[in-house]
Amino acid sequence: MDIKRFNLWALAWVIATALGCIVLARMELDRIRDAFETDARIVHRLLSQRASQQDAVMAMLTLLHSTNRAAQPGPRITSVYPQILKVQQREGDAVWPDAALSTAQTQSRQAGRAVLASIDFANGRFEILQAGVPASYAVQIDLSSMVPWDEWPMKPDHSPVRVTLAYQGQEFVLQPGRIVNQPWKFDFHKRLAADSQPFDVVAVRTAGWGDLPWLWMLGWTVLSAAALFALINALRQHAERRRAEELLRLGQVARLNTLGELAAGMAHELNQPLTAILANTQAASRLLNDEPPELATARDAMTHAVEQARRASDVVGRMRRIVERPEVSGQLQPVELQHAVRNALYLLEPECRRRNVTPVIASDDAKIRVRAEPVALEQIIHNLLTNALQALDKVPATERTLHIDLQMVAGFGTLTIRDSGPGIAADVLPRIFEPFFTTRSDNTGLGLGLSLCESLAGDMNGSLTAANHASRGAVFTLKLPLAESA
Amino acid sequence: MNTPLSPLIHLIDDDAAVRDSLALLISTVGLRVQPWASPPVFLAEFNRSGIGAIVLDVRMPGISGLTVLETLIAEGVDQPVIMLTGHGTVEMCRRAFKSGAAEFLEKPVDDQLLLDTLQSAVRLHVKSRERNQADRDARERFSQLSEREREVLGLIVAGLTNKEIGRALGVSPRTVETHRANLFVKLNAESLAQLIRHYATLVEATP
Repeated sequence: MDIKRFNLWALAWVIATALGCIVLARMELDRIRDAFETDARIVHRLLSQRASQQDAVMAMLTLLHSTNRAAQPGPRITSVYPQILKVQQREGDAVWPDAALSTAQTQSRQAGRAVLASIDFANGRFEILQAGVPASYAVQIDLSSMVPWDEWPMKPDHSPVRVTLAYQGQEFVLQPGRIVNQPWKFDFHKRLAADSQPFDVVAVRTAGWGDLPWLWMLGWTVLSAAALFALINALRQHAERRRAEELLRLGQVARLNTLGELAAGMAHELNQPLTAILANTQAASRLLNDEPPELATARDAMTHAVEQARRASDVVGRMRRIVERPEVSGQLQPVELQHAVRNALYLLEPECRRRNVTPVIASDDAKIRVRAEPVALEQIIHNLLTNALQALDKVPATERTLHIDLQMVAGFGTLTIRDSGPGIAADVLPRIFEPFFTTRSDNTGLGLGLSLCESLAGDMNGSLTAANHASRGAVFTLKLPLAESA
Repeated sequence: MNTPLSPLIHLIDDDAAVRDSLALLISTVGLRVQPWASPPVFLAEFNRSGIGAIVLDVRMPGISGLTVLETLIAEGVDQPVIMLTGHGTVEMCRRAFKSGAAEFLEKPVDDQLLLDTLQSAVRLHVKSRERNQADRDARERFSQLSEREREVLGLIVAGLTNKEIGRALGVSPRTVETHRANLFVKLNAESLAQLIRHYATLVEATP
């Protein structure tokens, strides 16, 4: 892979990582905000309930008023409601010691409900007053005790959320939280649902870089890199496979071209001596028929014919040396038959798919290791499979089957390839392995494939046989000696 | 110039064995053969006026037989050319005939076929040479006629009688008679039929 390609992939990875991380961070921040708002609403509801409860207590105090001092509800109230620190009462319009309470009494009377009399957030206290007949009541409430900590949705000591009650610039901290200058900030403002205690519940939550889901983001980064590598690898494998197929095809074309050149050269090289032989012998024949026969010239002509016959034979010898196959018997090595079959099928997979043929492989479980030259073996299998596929072209697609059997029989590994094609004609069968024998009428084959396969099998101390199956189709059987068990 | 009865076959092939054997074969039927190993030497030296034929191998190093053929035709050589090839393709064959080859034979060539081809080629060449000679002679004689004699010849060829010719030319039939006698002498004609056969085309070609 060149640098430019690599940079492109790296860029794709960076973009995928960045987008993924942004989405993950966004999701996490949304989750934090949702949790924060839920908690804040719970806090608001809890505090509102308490405030309403306190209003109810006030109303009750005025209703249950008793002139009997001993029956005063004050002391009992403070024990039932721990947030109520002190209860004060004044009969009628008796004067309150505190001007604020007097003012509040007037307001309460006008409003007909409890009102806030004074606040002292610095000490966490406030007073509410309910004007009544015959007596008015004022209670002092402790803010901290007012909070139902057992129902509190957060851990007051650890939660990062700051919760305060605010009223006219004063502020009482219910939960300190951790508020720092950070990029994300969520807040919540809502007044308590009790007119006598119009405090704002203020909740603030900040979120910083530390709150982002770094582990998930790291995971995503690694995952996207892995996915990208897998993709690159798959693409590269695909390309390599295509290249291999192309090379194979080119190799075949090149071989055919070479053979064509060879044939043309051979034709010329042989034609010259043949022409001379024919001309010489025919001239001699004519000279001998003359009256009287020209013996001397005829003899010369025959001598020349003999020389030319030798020349032709030299040409053939030279040609054989050129095209002679390299000796394979010296390069025999243990080869796994199953592996060779898989390789050949892999290369022919597009051919099979195109013909809608699914090869059925029946094999012993054990690996069959034969002594062979790997390239020659693959060439044989490739050739046999190609022939079978071409035979299957002649029958309808639904009737096409291709069976490949692998067996170990008496010291030999056998590979049987059976197709459901038209089989081999009776007059063809005895000649099928002859060089230059072909049944193809379209001149596409040289008729050397099977001949070569048989020679190669023989060179590897094996054999290749052809037959027709009892039901239909051709059966080719390759037998190769098993490799000595290692 | 060689006599037409002794035709000469020019045999051009770079392969000595082929050249010698074909030369021997051709000589067995009494034809004279001149072998050439090199096409350029042949082109430079062979006798273009002789009677005979040319046998040319297609595949030769340096200059191909087809090129030699095209050169010969371009020069107006009238000896028939027989092409020999080891592996003739249809395309090569087509090109050879288009270029003016008389025959196209494949190696190795059967003696009877080669010799028959050569003999008929030589026969054709002799005929064409003779015809050309006769044409030249006729043209020569025709050019010696006077203007008036040509007019008379034209009318004779057209099938007019002496009387009609005299009327047409405004002369007496007797004068026509004289011209006619001169015509027969000058054109070396023995009969009216011969006169018409040999000179009709020339008369028609002359305005």
